[in-house]
Amino acid sequence: MSNNFFADIKEQTKDAYDLVFGTKWPAWVGGILLAIVALMIFLWDYTWGIAGGYHNWGDWIFHLAGVKSQPRTLPWLHHLSVSNAGILLGALASALLGHQFKFRRAPKLEYAKGVIGGILMGSGAALAKGCNVGGFFSAVAMLDIGGYAMMVGLIIGAFIGLKYLLWEMEHLPQASAAPADESKAGKINWEAIKPYIGGLIFIAVIAAFYLYASYDKTVVGGLLFFGFLIGLIMHRSRFCFVQAFRDPFMTGEAKMVRAVAISLLIYGLFTILIKYNYIQDPKMDVYHPFWFGSLVGGIIFGIGMLLAGGCASSSLWRAGEGHTKLMVAIVSFAISNSTTFSLLDYFGIRNKLGTPHLLPDIVGWKLTVPVFILIILVWVVIANWNEKTEKFVVF
Amino acid sequence: MADIKPDQTLDTRGLSCPMPMLKTKKALKGMKSGQILEVWGTDPGSKNDIPDFCKKNNNELLEMTDLPEGYTRYIIKKG
Repeated sequence: MSNNFFADIKEQTKDAYDLVFGTKWPAWVGGILLAIVALMIFLWDYTWGIAGGYHNWGDWIFHLAGVKSQPRTLPWLHHLSVSNAGILLGALASALLGHQFKFRRAPKLEYAKGVIGGILMGSGAALAKGCNVGGFFSAVAMLDIGGYAMMVGLIIGAFIGLKYLLWEMEHLPQASAAPADESKAGKINWEAIKPYIGGLIFIAVIAAFYLYASYDKTVVGGLLFFGFLIGLIMHRSRFCFVQAFRDPFMTGEAKMVRAVAISLLIYGLFTILIKYNYIQDPKMDVYHPFWFGSLVGGIIFGIGMLLAGGCASSSLWRAGEGHTKLMVAIVSFAISNSTTFSLLDYFGIRNKLGTPHLLPDIVGWKLTVPVFILIILVWVVIANWNEKTEKFVVF
Repeated sequence: MADIKPDQTLDTRGLSCPMPMLKTKKALKGMKSGQILEVWGTDPGSKNDIPDFCKKNNNELLEMTDLPEGYTRYIIKKG
């Protein structure tokens, strides 16, 4: 009997493992889980964002190169830097556990697009004071109307970026890069070892959480852990904001629009509860420059994410999967973001790009819920209609 | 399935999202109904994107195989 018992457990464990790491989660499942973790971060500390972490990395790169004075916060204590590291580790662990990790080389042109895409995303995120997460996703959920201006910008930017990609296919020489031949494997069977490395990363993240707590930095440690969950969720569901903005023009597919919309509805409606009841300050994370900075920043960011093939968040999880092009894009993003912030300060225009507005201050708390839902529904309805008619598909 | 002879072969190895999908769509546009397109790719995202695209546009995905050389082969029949 005991034999059967252990055989049963082994089989059930394997089934569960295959369900979690052997299959792709539906995008909408990723959206729901992402909203829950984003809300946990909101209640735990502050609103979730990504570009702020890149800003910190860029400042450090310049400091180490001897150009800038030392940044105020160390990368392992900077809240968004730590949650970014968590996302990268979560995606890496997920890819290792799902047998999807390997270092992926790309043709030369792709690396150039990674650099330029990173530069555009970094400067766009500086203008909008946030990326696709902090400037759009979280901003909309936080009832900051700058988020809607950035959303319009991202749609326009994605359209322009896609037009460029179509031009590039016709006019630039096309190359590919064959992967390393796996049939001639070395002595060590890495494929069999990879899942265990993934498991070790998970244990290391938990251990780091405890370590942070023992140094009285529990909040920062928690962000590493929440970031890890986000990386895992995004990689398993291949949750991609770029796709939500690009696919309606490219294939007409609206799957990712619906996934982002579900996520935003949950994230935003719970935020309304939290802010209305003053569990967190209603003004928290309301600082986006409406409308000029958000809109123009969104357009520049949108073009950049099409070139890079990843936004602030999906560049992180794709880098965790081993795409070297996206690793290049992240470094370029960090450097450009730090530079653009310095330039905006130097010319004294940082605060002239627009003023933040809280949605309830404009429409009143009573109308906040219906207006919030309506705007998202309009986006979904148009995307669904376009999925059938392909009216906006440009090619 | 190895005996299917493709009318056109598209190499997208090393390219990541969205280039494999864009190139696949472009190649299919230039083909006649019933012709066969073979695509080589390494992007894990294509394993979802290409089947979804084929389904949406009535193209038939005849084959999707991971080859021991480290890339995936897709055989698509234009609808």
